[in-house]
Amino acid sequence: MEKIRTENLSFYYGSKQALSNISMLIRDRQITALIGPSGCGKSTFLRCLNRMNDTISGTRAEGQVLLDGQDIYSSLTDVVDLRRRVGMVFQRPNPFPQSIFDNVAFGPRVLGMHREKSLDAIVEQSLRGAVLWEEVRDNLGQDALSLSLGQQQRLCIARAIAVKPEVILMDEPCSALDPIATLEIEELMQKLQENYCIVIVTHNMQQAARVSDWTGFFWLGELVEFGATETIFTRPQQQLTEDYITGRAG
Amino acid sequence: MQRSEGANLRLAAPSVEGGLPVRQGVGPMSIRSAFDQELQELRDDVLRMGSMVEGALKSSIQALKEQDQSLAQQIINDDDKVNDLRFKIEEDCLSLIARQQPAARDLRFIVAAMNIVLDLERMGDHAAGIATIVLRMGGQPPLKPLIDLPRMAQISQEMLRASLDAFVAEDEKRALAITPRDEQVDQLYNQIFRELITYMIEDPRTVTRAMYLLFCAHNVERIADRVTNICERVAFVATGRMEEIPSEPGTEIGLS
Repeated sequence: MEKIRTENLSFYYGSKQALSNISMLIRDRQITALIGPSGCGKSTFLRCLNRMNDTISGTRAEGQVLLDGQDIYSSLTDVVDLRRRVGMVFQRPNPFPQSIFDNVAFGPRVLGMHREKSLDAIVEQSLRGAVLWEEVRDNLGQDALSLSLGQQQRLCIARAIAVKPEVILMDEPCSALDPIATLEIEELMQKLQENYCIVIVTHNMQQAARVSDWTGFFWLGELVEFGATETIFTRPQQQLTEDYITGRAG
Repeated sequence: MQRSEGANLRLAAPSVEGGLPVRQGVGPMSIRSAFDQELQELRDDVLRMGSMVEGALKSSIQALKEQDQSLAQQIINDDDKVNDLRFKIEEDCLSLIARQQPAARDLRFIVAAMNIVLDLERMGDHAAGIATIVLRMGGQPPLKPLIDLPRMAQISQEMLRASLDAFVAEDEKRALAITPRDEQVDQLYNQIFRELITYMIEDPRTVTRAMYLLFCAHNVERIADRVTNICERVAFVATGRMEEIPSEPGTEIGLS
């Protein structure tokens, strides 16, 4: 089922064009991976999906990004609500220098939830959702920065899902993690996929091959090939894709 | 095989998003040279195994024609080397998959190599089967002059060589051009089959000697059949499609 669709999306940093005419269909409750060399536009594309690029001055988007059929770049869009619906997890875990509880409760509080009981419930639910609950349940008052990097990243995922988003964008969520923590996040993604639409940018092609249902290959700001992950990694249609995923270009 | 640290490190390297200029026009063979080297060694090993099998087939027919018992014994002994090489190649393939995480054409090539060596190993067994029959014949001349059987073996040998050439070139067209020749082999086999039947009907005392030749022909027929498997694998490497190459139904009779 369609969740996000981009139509001829182009993006500019000042006069420099970073994306040209990207049309992509992102399906709900599936994992879509974006791969490509550094500077190819995949992170720019990801940040277009919840208008994170708006915060960079001198940038401009053309074309459409439809979330459930509604253009998020229309003047009617409430950007705060958009970012609640389309959450984001970054490359390096970035918990706030607060307790584990306050990190997860941050979003719900901003959205006006203050009743202690419902906050307790939503924190537990989110930490369970991010498979962190069992490890931290007795230390919710502990400083989030004392957790391991892998736990911090799962905390950031818990923080993202606490506001009940529909889409989770992940920008290189494992690149700062060791292999085991990486596999834990990947495992978590498979679980989250049952309830969310997930889009992940990764430099690790094996990660894209392992976790995703759909893969898009970007090159110099263009979407060279998009298709089922199985097809992309066994019989890609484009020579450029083939050269990249077999490690011969890029 | 050398462990290719460079390629693995490169894949695991942290991102520098937006910081590096995009490299353009990087041609093949430029980055994964250690991996490419290993793929080349794999290709060479498959070819070497193919030529060992081709040699075994050729020698087995020669041993049959000349009733050369020591050559026959040599073929049987050498079959162990073919078997050993098959296991070496399979281990190398597993190692490549585990260490290099091949994808797309590289992955198809490695999987095809694993399948092809299985077929080659069985072809080697068929050649050794002919040699075993030669030993059983115990120096008695064949029942009849050998004309069709060497012809069958010759075509099969050419098919095998052409299929390995197509494998090296990863050329689907060349692979598909080989398979129709399997019908020629089948026709010759049928001809031999019918002829030997007439011998046996005419004089039942010839049954044992006729069966020796029939078994030999059958072994050759199986070899040609397995060449078509190799051709299917070559097409798979080239296109990613896994398809049986159709052959004429009912063109072979007797044992199969």
